[in-house]
Amino acid sequence: MVFRLQYLLLISLLSGAALAQDNKDQAALEFDREFFSVGVYAGILSIQDYRSELAFGVQSSFKASEDFFLQFNYLQADASYSSFELSQGPSFAGSNRTFSHYDFLLGYNLFQAEFFGDGPESAISSLYLVAGAGETEFGGENNFTITIGTGYQFALKRRYVLSLDFRDHIFKSSLLEEDKNTHNTQVSAGISFLF
Amino acid sequence: MRAVQTCFLIILLNILPFAGAQEGQNSESASVDGQPQARSLEVIDPYLEMRSGPGRGYPVFFVIEEGERVEVLVRQPGWYEVRAANGRVGWVAESQIARTMQASGEPADLPSVSYGDYLNRGWQVGFSTGQFSSGGLNGADTIKANIGYRPLSWFVIEAETARYFAPETKGSYSSLNLVVEPFSKNRWSPAIIFGTGQLDVESQPELTPIELGTSDYQHYGLRLNYYVGRNFLIKAEYKTFDVEVDTVNEEMRTWYLGFNTFF
Repeated sequence: MVFRLQYLLLISLLSGAALAQDNKDQAALEFDREFFSVGVYAGILSIQDYRSELAFGVQSSFKASEDFFLQFNYLQADASYSSFELSQGPSFAGSNRTFSHYDFLLGYNLFQAEFFGDGPESAISSLYLVAGAGETEFGGENNFTITIGTGYQFALKRRYVLSLDFRDHIFKSSLLEEDKNTHNTQVSAGISFLF
Repeated sequence: MRAVQTCFLIILLNILPFAGAQEGQNSESASVDGQPQARSLEVIDPYLEMRSGPGRGYPVFFVIEEGERVEVLVRQPGWYEVRAANGRVGWVAESQIARTMQASGEPADLPSVSYGDYLNRGWQVGFSTGQFSSGGLNGADTIKANIGYRPLSWFVIEAETARYFAPETKGSYSSLNLVVEPFSKNRWSPAIIFGTGQLDVESQPELTPIELGTSDYQHYGLRLNYYVGRNFLIKAEYKTFDVEVDTVNEEMRTWYLGFNTFF
């Protein structure tokens, strides 16, 4: 029922958008805008009390200003059996072994600079900090998650940006003991397209 | 259910921007010869500083003098990518390029700087995080994503979808809101919110599944916006939910802190 409502809202808003965009800013000059980027990334996710796993994700960013950006991330990894589980038997099985996570982050470009690779050509780059909140589903639990991290990005080509990221996903889990704070760190590399 | 929500969020962040991007392409293809046509402007300031990237941290590598022409290629928040007469391409701050002339001799009407003017008839997306501070969900953490359209400078129609997490329960709620923001041209701008929606309760953890059901709710509250830049604001929100649980109304209060962007 809730989702039917969501779809109705979306459909009405999307159809409204098409009509509204035509009239916007007629007086002002229109330029090709580059506010958004979408990308994919892959890396290692270290799940606390379990193992480090290969993780894949997608992300979408909105450039809010010169300094700030908003980012949505979705990340997924499959947890293999930990040493404890190998000796004592698995704690849970099936889809519960998939670690899936999404978050909304606020990013701040701390240092913007030119990056000199091999040749005389420079690429623009920045070091940024991110923080935000999201949700993690793992072991049958859904938990409110705080994510903090940092990253470095540089423009491979004019619209293709390569990024290296570190994230810490912090949430309270009751899988092994009641309300234990777990830190799940992620190191990843990704590529995104600016449009 | 999670998948549906994730889909919603991905749609929210990706589909709408495409509408904007296509709009930009349309205005390009409307040129006479069918080629993408950049805007040619005459510099009337003593000089324009061209940087290698769209930010104050990137070095200045070229200067365009007064009277020269530049072509504007791309806009990013606060910056324009321009091509000088000699073919050099770089980024110029919006504050510098705002005083330039069109080929016709008229001043170029670059998008204006006043918050309210810019927001009018625009779209906004954002997210918030917060906590229930009273009622049956007291202490539950919550995150929400929203999308809104502003038909008038002081009025926003907004749809939001949210998740919450408590030790025993978890769930989602979605609503359609009307937001009245009378002083949207100010940097600090209060707003009043009214909305109606549905709240879904599930048990946590999944190992003992009990469907606790769906309830309708009305909510109202206050929001304080702080416009950091033309495309970006920080918002603080305090809301009261009136949830119909078994024909009895339960009152719950929530606070949020979040961000909105505009396009």
